[in-house]
Amino acid sequence: MIKIQREDFDVGGLHASLKTRGSGCVVTFVGTVRDTSDGRPVSRMSIEVYEGMARAQLEAIAGEAADKFGVDRVEVVHRYGDLEVGDNIVFIGVSAGHRDQGFEACRYMIDELKKRVPIWKREYTPDGVVWVEGDRREQGPG
Amino acid sequence: MKVKVRYYASFRDVTGKQEEWLDVPEGTTVQGIREHVRGLYESIARREQVLVAVNGAFPALDRVIEEGDDVAFFPPVSGG
Repeated sequence: MIKIQREDFDVGGLHASLKTRGSGCVVTFVGTVRDTSDGRPVSRMSIEVYEGMARAQLEAIAGEAADKFGVDRVEVVHRYGDLEVGDNIVFIGVSAGHRDQGFEACRYMIDELKKRVPIWKREYTPDGVVWVEGDRREQGPG
Repeated sequence: MKVKVRYYASFRDVTGKQEEWLDVPEGTTVQGIREHVRGLYESIARREQVLVAVNGAFPALDRVIEEGDDVAFFPPVSGG
């Protein structure tokens, strides 16, 4: 299931929901807000999403992971809005028969998300508010 | 032909607009509308990567834009 939401998510509940009787593993990734970025302190973050397209892209990525790696279940949750240091940003979870499928599928999904799902971070630093774009950072207005 | 385009993230900041209507010739491609927008906004023209989505997907650059298409411009993504 794909969710794009403002509120936090329950990692334990999502983990439990991934299990099936045929699954031999559950592999999860949780992205969180760091207190530094490129050596600068980060006090908080806001996240913008182009929701319709993000949902379509995440559904496509989940389908690709199921086809490529034969996973049992997939859960993806991405948050938007204002976040504090330490807050959860994203949950990616898969269940699969064996660990190789699980690790590879989870890695594939987070890597693809970072390439093509239209979501952007803004970091609040002592130098101002900075848009994060791909691997680079662009200075934005206040 | 009038086409509505939307801007996201830093592109909304530099254009000062969430969306606008552009007047482009019939037969304009994705590449063509990208050049049109680069021509309108110097700060977008300077960017190495200007992503264009049509109807929620990344189209081929030679895809022709049609009236009613949902066109969005944005910088490289940074979710996750």
